[in-house]
Amino acid sequence: MNSVAGKYPTIKAYVRPDGSVGVRNHVVIIPIDDLSNTAALGVAKLIRGTVAIPHPYGRLQFGKDLDLLFHVLSGTGANPNVYGAIVIGIEDNWANKVADGIAKTGKPVYVFGIEGRGDLKTIEEAARKAKELVQDAGEQQRTEVDLTNIMFSIKCGESDTTSGLASNPALGYTVDKLVDLGNTVMFGETSELTGAEDIVAGRIKDPELRSKFMRIYNEYIKVIEEGGVDLLGSQPTEGNIKGGLSTIEEKALGNIQKLGTRPITCVADYLDPVPRNGGLCFVNTSSAAAEAVTLFAAKGSVLHFFTTGQGNVVGHPIIPVIKISANPKTIKAMSEHIDVDVSDLLELKVSLQEAGDRIFNYALRVMNGRLTAAEALQHDEFSPIKLYVSA
Amino acid sequence: MPKFAIHNKEDNVGVAIEDIRAGEEAQGIYIEDKSNGPVVKAVEDIPLGHKIALRDIKAGKEVIKYGRVIGVAVKDIKAGEHVHTHNLKSLRWGNLSKR
Repeated sequence: MNSVAGKYPTIKAYVRPDGSVGVRNHVVIIPIDDLSNTAALGVAKLIRGTVAIPHPYGRLQFGKDLDLLFHVLSGTGANPNVYGAIVIGIEDNWANKVADGIAKTGKPVYVFGIEGRGDLKTIEEAARKAKELVQDAGEQQRTEVDLTNIMFSIKCGESDTTSGLASNPALGYTVDKLVDLGNTVMFGETSELTGAEDIVAGRIKDPELRSKFMRIYNEYIKVIEEGGVDLLGSQPTEGNIKGGLSTIEEKALGNIQKLGTRPITCVADYLDPVPRNGGLCFVNTSSAAAEAVTLFAAKGSVLHFFTTGQGNVVGHPIIPVIKISANPKTIKAMSEHIDVDVSDLLELKVSLQEAGDRIFNYALRVMNGRLTAAEALQHDEFSPIKLYVSA
Repeated sequence: MPKFAIHNKEDNVGVAIEDIRAGEEAQGIYIEDKSNGPVVKAVEDIPLGHKIALRDIKAGKEVIKYGRVIGVAVKDIKAGEHVHTHNLKSLRWGNLSKR
């Protein structure tokens, strides 16, 4: 973490045993499957400072779909914002698989199986361990570290034309800054690149990575079209249309404004890991807000930047989500959800740099511990992506 | 005060940065250099964030924003008209039935 003095801004954050840097210090209770949600929630209810992440999946999934669920569950536990984890499954076997992925980071993780024991005994035993974890977590200190080798993510939602005009370009400025400091910034929303996919591809200099991106994009669109349908009616969404966006091409061109101007240096499919100093990194995701944020967090993002026009309220249980808007009507009507107001950029009263620095400086405060609107409002959406039917 | 912004000098639509009323002579502004764009008389109300045609766009002609094609006019659009889903369609999606 040592470097030339003054080269990097510093933050006060948690350095984990594997050297990764987190900005929160959660103890997370992870159910492996839908059947284990009750026990996980039971533990979280008993022990202050724990967060359970219930979800509807995990039984009789198979192949790539199951691999993706495990990837998301163990990635969430392994996220640098997590101090330690409790994993609960109906059967021990799968729960151990997920816990192994978390244990690799060197942080404490304990596994409990419900079968042969029942919910109440499981809750009691898991709660005793969770209690130890939160007490130990409380002694973790924030230390001063350079703002480099840290992982971030970006996505927009309930976008409108104010996103493409102001909030996305301002975020793009922030993204350039984070990338130049040697951090990773992940973006995704594969289907929402339609109409601008050639621009994105053009920013990937490495020919192999570029063809990997085009393969991922084309496969995604093929899946959509194989059903004999297209996304007219879903994309743009009703909210997008209300905000003035008319076509997917227009939406995509506004969307990519937040990617800043640096080359794209990493392309990750669903199961691919993302490096800490990866630069600007494409991750294959759906465009649904909670699904995308959940996958970014599972790949290690410790803070998410979310621009919105018409007012998306998404949050995440373990990573702060900063809401940025340039739409003065939304900022007024949904003020409790918006962290950073850049409507003066829409009105062209400030420069792009001023608006971008405003986002950057707010992010520093959030990294140092300030709660985001979504955190204070308990927007704890945890939504693993499901690829296909279960067996 | 500018009432609508234009992303690129090749664009034939602008975006209202305030609500624009029918009959208003609205001033445009180019985002890239903040220079004045055209003044367009709005023929109908254009809500904040919605698009206004900068010049006549014939049915079948491309609608340009960000200097890129964002779709095609499905009816004749006059300068100052509201450009949205009723007169602009995607070239990417919505055409599967015709394939």
